[in-house]
Amino acid sequence: MNMPITSLLYVKPRLWGRLAARYAASWWAMLHLGAVALVMALSPSTYHRANRLATSRYIYASTWQVLPWFTVLTALVSLVIIRIVLVTAQSYGLSRYALEMVVRVLVLELLPLSAAMFAALRAGMAFDANAMGLARSGVPAGAATAETLRRLRHDLVPQVIANAFSVLSLAMVSSTIVLVLAYLNVYGLSPWGLPDYTRTVGRVFDPTVTLGFVFKTVLFGLAVAVIPSAAILDLLRRPRRLRTNVQPGALRLLFVLLLIEASSLAVKYI
Amino acid sequence: MNDKDLTRTADGPPDEPRHVEAKALILLVVIGALIAAFFLYVMYARGVFEKTQELVLVADDSEGVIPGMDMSFAGFPIGRVRQVELGKDGKVNILVDIPKADAKWLRTTSVFTLERSIVGETRLRAYSGILTDPPLPDHAQRPVLRGDAAAEIPRLVATAHTLLENLETMTRPDSHIGNTLANVDALSGRLTGRYGVLGTALGGDAEAEKLLQTLRRLDTLLAKTDQRVFGKNGVMDDTQGAIRELNGLLSDARGTLQKADAVLAEAQAVGKNARVATEDLGRLRGEVDASLRKVNRLVDEVNRKWPFKRDTEIKLP
Repeated sequence: MNMPITSLLYVKPRLWGRLAARYAASWWAMLHLGAVALVMALSPSTYHRANRLATSRYIYASTWQVLPWFTVLTALVSLVIIRIVLVTAQSYGLSRYALEMVVRVLVLELLPLSAAMFAALRAGMAFDANAMGLARSGVPAGAATAETLRRLRHDLVPQVIANAFSVLSLAMVSSTIVLVLAYLNVYGLSPWGLPDYTRTVGRVFDPTVTLGFVFKTVLFGLAVAVIPSAAILDLLRRPRRLRTNVQPGALRLLFVLLLIEASSLAVKYI
Repeated sequence: MNDKDLTRTADGPPDEPRHVEAKALILLVVIGALIAAFFLYVMYARGVFEKTQELVLVADDSEGVIPGMDMSFAGFPIGRVRQVELGKDGKVNILVDIPKADAKWLRTTSVFTLERSIVGETRLRAYSGILTDPPLPDHAQRPVLRGDAAAEIPRLVATAHTLLENLETMTRPDSHIGNTLANVDALSGRLTGRYGVLGTALGGDAEAEKLLQTLRRLDTLLAKTDQRVFGKNGVMDDTQGAIRELNGLLSDARGTLQKADAVLAEAQAVGKNARVATEDLGRLRGEVDASLRKVNRLVDEVNRKWPFKRDTEIKLP
């Protein structure tokens, strides 16, 4: 019975209902865990000494260690994209739209998504070889519950905070760098393009877009923080034989990230 | 092993970096400041901190107008569309925020246009012809003129079609213009021919030749006439002699007339004398008449007194 949903086609039709219910329950558990984590993150009593230290540690691991490399990498890739967009726009005589396009495509869409992916790979999915081992070897029910509680109390909230912060900071820093790079590419080192540039940025970041940007980034952070943890806890509660070495929840995380991105695009442009 | 692992996870990795809390705090502060700065910049870019005045542009159609688009003056953005709403009269009200610093470019006589290009966004422009006019007041309401390039296309195509048809008609071999050009060609050929404009005007070289012959004859005639009239012993010389004689005659006539004048004066005097004499003669006649009546009466008397002789003859004295 402990089969992943992908094997739905290989089970007997009379078991489909049970599989679907189990699948829905795991989604519900994930949402519930996310809500609990959010509530705990917002309650001041969570921030005692031990949790602060744990949060600092997670922030250090997910942001401090990653930020320089991520920034350099995104700057390089963005530089290439900015050049391509500018040169193409100039060749069609549409250079006045190039800057707006760069800001919309890179800052609003690509960078938050890349930051979320990067944080997920770096912090969200690489966090628990132990849990994988536990899940594979199988743990007694009592131990699993204890582990769940311990994770909730000690690790989950700091992780959620750290991962959300990681996504937010990676996105913000790289966005700032890209904004500067875009200005330098379009106007060079001259300061006289600043009013025009400011106006373009102001036109792009209308209140709806800005709120959408912030909301999307926060949702990315929550997804990166909650989904892998929820998957591990689900595994602990219902140990099963894993057929692949893929981190539990990885596919679900990717799916949720794309869903958030698609919803954001749909809200903004449709 | 499991318990050991759990403990490790709970307490964090054993090789924990130094000052991890301080680093996390620095990150939090820096990223927080960055986010705050970003929001402030976006707010500044959207003109939240600028003092603005409102301008309401009234249009028939709001197509292409979106909140946030710029209104430009001489290519510089000086205002931003805040809201587009449908008014009670069914017209579109475009509310534009204009920073106070840029409001000086808008005057009461400014004209506003909304231009839709085929490629690219709709543009809202302001034109101020006379910058010395009074400045545009706050909450001013102005009509906006639409220049729609796309809407013009069908009309343009229709006009171009008609134009091309006309052009085709004009350039056909049997068209009026073709005939006219052929005539012009023939005309220019004639103009450059032997008799030039003359042949063209008279309709042929033969006619021109005739005219030229006539002219030559006329020339000869004129030469002869000149000789006869103004030459030696010509008409003019005779005429001059005649005039001179006439002059003499006239002076003679004048003398004669003077003499006649004197004769007339004398005749007048004679006439006057004759009138006096005539008056005397009248009186004399009266006297004669009276004498005759007396004589008559005397004869009658004698006859009455002397009846012997009936002789009625009277002997005048």
